[in-house]
Amino acid sequence: MSEGLTGAIIEKHADGRHEGSYLSVRIDFLMLHDPALALMLHDLKAQAAPIHDKSRLLVTIDHFAPASTIERANLVKDVLAFAEQQGLPHCLVHQGICHQVMVEGPWVVPGMLVVGSDSHTTTAGALGCVATGMGSTDMLYCMVTGTTWLQMPAAIRINLTGELPLHSMGKDIILDLLGATGEAGFLYQALEFYDFNCQVSMDDRFAICNMVVEAGAKNGLFFPDSVTRSYCEARDGQAEAWEHEGSISYSNALDLDLSAMLPKIASPHSPANVMNVADAQGETIHQVFIGSCTGGRLRDLEMAARVLKGGRVAPGMRLLVSPASQRIYRESIDRGYVQAIMDAGGVMLNPSCGPCGGIDKGILAAGEACLSTSNRNFQGRMGDPASRVFLASALTAAATALRGKITDPREVL
Amino acid sequence: MDFHAEIAGSVWLLGDHVNTDMLHPPDYFSLDADRMKEGIRQGRRRLKAAAAADFAAEGIVIVAGENFGCGSSRETSVRALAACGLKAVVAQSFARIFHRSLTNLGIPALVCRDIQNHVSDGDPIALSIKDGSITLRSEQRYGCAALDPHVMKILACGGLVAYLQKELHGL
Repeated sequence: MSEGLTGAIIEKHADGRHEGSYLSVRIDFLMLHDPALALMLHDLKAQAAPIHDKSRLLVTIDHFAPASTIERANLVKDVLAFAEQQGLPHCLVHQGICHQVMVEGPWVVPGMLVVGSDSHTTTAGALGCVATGMGSTDMLYCMVTGTTWLQMPAAIRINLTGELPLHSMGKDIILDLLGATGEAGFLYQALEFYDFNCQVSMDDRFAICNMVVEAGAKNGLFFPDSVTRSYCEARDGQAEAWEHEGSISYSNALDLDLSAMLPKIASPHSPANVMNVADAQGETIHQVFIGSCTGGRLRDLEMAARVLKGGRVAPGMRLLVSPASQRIYRESIDRGYVQAIMDAGGVMLNPSCGPCGGIDKGILAAGEACLSTSNRNFQGRMGDPASRVFLASALTAAATALRGKITDPREVL
Repeated sequence: MDFHAEIAGSVWLLGDHVNTDMLHPPDYFSLDADRMKEGIRQGRRRLKAAAAADFAAEGIVIVAGENFGCGSSRETSVRALAACGLKAVVAQSFARIFHRSLTNLGIPALVCRDIQNHVSDGDPIALSIKDGSITLRSEQRYGCAALDPHVMKILACGGLVAYLQKELHGL
């Protein structure tokens, strides 16, 4: 018996093969980034089997973007040579982070089954599809067969009610949930959000679905509604009518009153180590990072610019801002957000995964503290093992950049 | 993998929610085997592993708590452990992607909730997949949850790439 919209979507994609508790499913869309493809390239070439459907595959160069070491330059070179030799129609080089550029393109719509070579592939679930992450070898199998083996997850329904206050964002909602349930609170489960009053913007929905994996979830999705429809219409020029017939059952249901949502922060070294920003106030921060597949979207830059406009970052503060994609970057320039950020002393970085994953740019030194809009604050994630990372919304990040210490955005709004 | 053969090694004991950034710090992502292995040594230091800095020649069996391998899907963390001699992982529960990657690379991931308090770093340990049992130095035996038939099939091939070849070519 399947649960949730997730179960219904998985059932619809089943190709009839079962083994143990796993079933084989057809995949609608696949995403692979540079390090994951580099890692499997040798095995993939050895298969001598064609890619099942190139039109359903997105390859991004976003982790080593641009490459910062000779080894990474060589890995990217191999990936690009492969993409060219295969004639891959969707290969985006330095255009943005995979989880953002995948939902900017016309590929993913409600009801689909999507896999990607990255744990944060769950992001795309905001569009009402099942999207989940895997390792390189799993993705190799998906590329060659167009299928994968999945277990049916238990599904949890999360009812979002009330009005979201101006000082809170999607990031606060998911941090609140993580704080309440812990790092394994939803292990192997599907989280399905019902936004009854359409209070949560699509950008905030992406941030929420992005971080469900920090609670161990297989996937997270927002039940398709008018926000989904508007997003797809604006993106594709049209949105297919989407309906689910039949009843949907859940293992459990939770209610979250958005009107009570306060600014939240995850303290070192776990995304589930969550408290109110008000209770963490005053902690000295050396670097603020606004970016990543969680917190580098247009709404994040808009909220940051709103707080920073006319102000100046604290002396010695390093404010680094990396839009999640080139498209977001351009639009942030057009709307004046970049001007406000730079006038306040912020430094713009090109779209990439760099700072969030400790790959390049913004690496932390021993003893330094960073407040980041990204998704993970594990020890050593962004640099020296003796550095510390706090996770919060773009509003909290901008307020903190102005004061040089953790600051509740309600104080500056 | 021959399920009738015993898997023997020495224990690397870890706690709950051990993430891949700690096991294999992101800076060590590489296709170079030595660099990859150096990442595991760095991870062992960060995780304050009690056993000697290098690895037992007879192989490693990680014994961990809940949600083992959470975080990034970087398969280098599993590949690097395999290169360092990882033979199996016994945990109270696994993070989804890490469990899949272990299986896909031919390393059994076993669920056992009882032995974590009865082993120390460096202890000898023996596993029998066929019997679903774990034997410790004390000769004490513990049961582990049976592996899923699909997982067994992948492990029997030696990993997902070999499983795929069998599917494609019937080898």
